Amino acid sequence: MSKRAVDAVFQALFLLSDLRFLLRETAPEHDLDDMQRERAATTLAKVKRQITILEEELIR
Amino acid sequence: MKCAVDIESRDVEEMYINIDPIQAGGRLTADAMKAAISFGDGYSVCDNCRSPFRLDYIQKPPIAQFHADLAAWLNMDAVRVVPGARRGFQAVASTYVEKGDPVIVTALAHYTEFMAVEEAGGIPLEIPKDTANHITPDAAAEKIEAVIREFSKTPPLLFIDHVDYQFGNVHDVAGIIKVAHQYDIPVLVNGAYSVGIMPVDGKALGADFVVGSGHKSMAAPAPSGVLATTNEHAERVFRTTQAKGDVTGRTFGVKEVEMMGCTLMGVTVVGMMASFPHVRERVQHWETEVAHSQAVVDALLSIEGTKVLSDYPRQHTLTRIDTRESFDKVAQQHKKRGFFLSSDLKKRGITGVIPGSTRVWKFNTFGLMEKQIRHVGESFVGIARDNGLNIL
Repeated sequence: MSKRAVDAVFQALFLLSDLRFLLRETAPEHDLDDMQRERAATTLAKVKRQITILEEELIR
Repeated sequence: MKCAVDIESRDVEEMYINIDPIQAGGRLTADAMKAAISFGDGYSVCDNCRSPFRLDYIQKPPIAQFHADLAAWLNMDAVRVVPGARRGFQAVASTYVEKGDPVIVTALAHYTEFMAVEEAGGIPLEIPKDTANHITPDAAAEKIEAVIREFSKTPPLLFIDHVDYQFGNVHDVAGIIKVAHQYDIPVLVNGAYSVGIMPVDGKALGADFVVGSGHKSMAAPAPSGVLATTNEHAERVFRTTQAKGDVTGRTFGVKEVEMMGCTLMGVTVVGMMASFPHVRERVQHWETEVAHSQAVVDALLSIEGTKVLSDYPRQHTLTRIDTRESFDKVAQQHKKRGFFLSSDLKKRGITGVIPGSTRVWKFNTFGLMEKQIRHVGESFVGIARDNGLNIL
């Protein structure tokens, strides 16, 4: 049982939901301002961390 | 992109500004999306259902607390979540209306109010609207008097839409309730276009029942809604089953007849719960939403020939507009006929206007960002200008 992998899947999906919401807020042009770009960058960095965890747990 | 075999993914909200009149207030919050991911399985909220076995008693996730919070927020005594506002109408009509009873609705009532009355065997009778498309307390009094004269009995129930779906006008619900109560008629307030997007205080209105729509105005998945009532009516509308199996002798405890036991058992209730803190917050910014609505309406009114059929200045984000003397004139000459407007809007990243509509149509600006509001207003004006209409 890998609770860590399960948590990482959910966490990644939740973070991607935040990005999805950002796409909604900025539709149709998705022309992000500085704050939104920073939000996107922070979220993407967190998603990458979760992907790393999944790689460690599932395909090592 | 497909999300499953033969099912295209829906990316309308991500790709476009959606001004569909019925969809605006039901768009999910990010937290509701997360809840939907987590609680998509059928009976997902039932993992920790313990005796007494009923949805509104579940502590984990905190559904019981959500019910208490919802009641407090609406300033009512008791609430249940229901599968859409219509199921709230149905529960109340089924409880209060007997076969042949006259029931008061209005000329602006949603069709599901009629159906709830019909299913209960009642006869729906409409309070007429005035020339300004309002339902007034005076008109309500006249109708009640006329109905009592005709049927020799007092209607057991009156439905009034807080904000009607046809014009997005806000009606004098408190005044109408005051009139109805003079005849001892309980009143159900249809808050499908108010609960969750603007402040609603059930006790201040004097409402016996407040019904809201989760998927229309509470940023929740469909079908979801809320039925709130007072202590005076709670015991009756939320009565528990007395049924007993004649062979098995089984009884069914605390299950409520009108709720058919439990109602929202998964993503719907958890979606409502996840959005609730945001919903509670957003109603505090109603004036900004109305100002956004006004800005788009003013942009449309700057196009010569365009009229607004809803109250002006706007008091709501849902608006009915008449473009028979503007966009429809273009449609008569345009190769795409009436489809030019929705087509041109789509090119500018805007959707939600019914394709082909250039005469009388509705839109809703609720929840859009400032920049998106500007884009919508400028797009209408730009399309008008590109098609030779005068801008005032």
